[in-house]
Amino acid sequence: MKKYLLTPTLLAVAALISACGSVPKNTSLLDQTRSDYVQAQNNPDVAKYAPLEMQQAGTALAQANAAADDRTSLEKIDSLAYIAKQKIALTQEVAKKKSAEAEIASSAKERDQMRLDQRTNEANIANLNAEKARVSAAVAQSEAALAQRQTQEALARTAQLEAQLAVQLADMAAKKTERGMVITLGDVLFGTDQAHLSADGVRTAQKLATVLQQNPQRSVLIEGFTDSTGSDAYNMALSQRRATTVRGALTDLGVAADRIDMQAYGETHPVAANDSASNRQLNRRVEIVLSNGSDRVIAR
Amino acid sequence: MMKHSKPWALTLCCLAALLTVGCSSLKTPVTAEVAVSKATVANAASAGGAEYAPVEMRAAREKLALANKAMATKDYKQARSLAALAQADAKLAQSKANSAKAQTAADALQDDIRILREELERNNN
Repeated sequence: MKKYLLTPTLLAVAALISACGSVPKNTSLLDQTRSDYVQAQNNPDVAKYAPLEMQQAGTALAQANAAADDRTSLEKIDSLAYIAKQKIALTQEVAKKKSAEAEIASSAKERDQMRLDQRTNEANIANLNAEKARVSAAVAQSEAALAQRQTQEALARTAQLEAQLAVQLADMAAKKTERGMVITLGDVLFGTDQAHLSADGVRTAQKLATVLQQNPQRSVLIEGFTDSTGSDAYNMALSQRRATTVRGALTDLGVAADRIDMQAYGETHPVAANDSASNRQLNRRVEIVLSNGSDRVIAR
Repeated sequence: MMKHSKPWALTLCCLAALLTVGCSSLKTPVTAEVAVSKATVANAASAGGAEYAPVEMRAAREKLALANKAMATKDYKQARSLAALAQADAKLAQSKANSAKAQTAADALQDDIRILREELERNNN
C-alpha cells in the first residue's frame, strides 16, 4: 500500500517543484520599474521627443525581465531593474527638456512678434506726437501772427487817434506844457463880466468834448483867471463862475463830471501885465488843461 | 620519452598563458567601465547635477566610491555592477539638470512675454 502510493506522491512533488521553478522571480523594484515604463509609454511627449531613450530603457527593462525569468540572484535582478528604472526616468527628463526647448522656440517667436508690435506701437506714438507738435506749432504761429496783427492794428489806431488829436488840438490852438495840453478860452468867448459862453466859446467846448469822447482815458482841469480890476473876492467869484460855465458846457455835451476838475484863481497867475486894456483882456481867461494820459492834471 | 615531453610542456605553457590572459581580461574592461562612470559623474557635476538633482548626484558619487573600493579589493564583478549603477544615476542627474535649465529658460521667456504684453497694453491705453 505504502509502496503503491509513493510513486504518485513523488511525481506530484516533482511536478510542484518544477511548476514553482517555472514562476519567474520578482522584486518590488522590478514591479515599480515596469509601472514606470508603462507610465512613460503613456506620455505623448516621450513618444514625440525621446523615442531613442525610450528604446534604450526598454532594452534595459527587457534585460531585467530576462534576469527575473532566468531566476538569477535577487541582487542581479534589482541591479538591472535599477538601471532600467533610472533610464526610464532619464527618458522622462529628456522628453521634458525637449518639450521645454520647443516651448522656448515658440515663445521666442511670440516674443519677437511682440517686440515688433511694440516698436510699431512706439513708432506710431512718435508719429502721433510729431503730428501733435506740428499742429500745435502751426496754431502757435497763427496765434502769434494774429497777436502781431492786433498789435499793429492797435498801434495804427493809436497813431491815428494821436494824429487826429494833434489836428484837433492845433485847431483849438492848444499849447504843450509839462502838465498837459493847455487850451485857452479867451475873454472874447465870454461876455464882459459875464459867465456865459459866446457862440465861438460853445464851438470850442464842443471840439473839446469830442476830443474827450475820443480819448476816454484823458481828463481835464478847468482853471479860471481874471485881470486885476475889481476886488479880489469879486475876481475869485467871477473866475469860479466862468470855470463852472465851461464845466457845465462839457457835461451838457456828454462828458462825465468825474473826468473834470475845476480850480478858480481870481487875478493870480496873470499871463501879461495889467497895464493896458489888451493885456487885461489876455489875463481874463479860462485855461483847460488836457491830461497827457490817464493821470489827473495837478492844480497849480 | 624526451621527445614526447616537449609538446606537453608547450600545452601547459599555453594553458597558463590563456588563464593569465583570461584573468587579466576581466580586470581591464572593468577598469575602463569604472573610468567611464567616473567621467559620466564628472560631466553630470559640471552640468549642475548637484544643484538640480542632488539625490541622484549623491547616489552616483557613493556608488562610484564603492566601485573604486571594490576595484581595490579586486572584486571586479561587484565593481562592474556598481559602476553601471553609478553611470545610470549620473546620466539621470545630468538629464535632470538639463531639463531643469531648459524649463528655467522657458519660464524666463514666458516672463519676458508677460512683461512685454503688459507694456503693450499700457502703451495702447
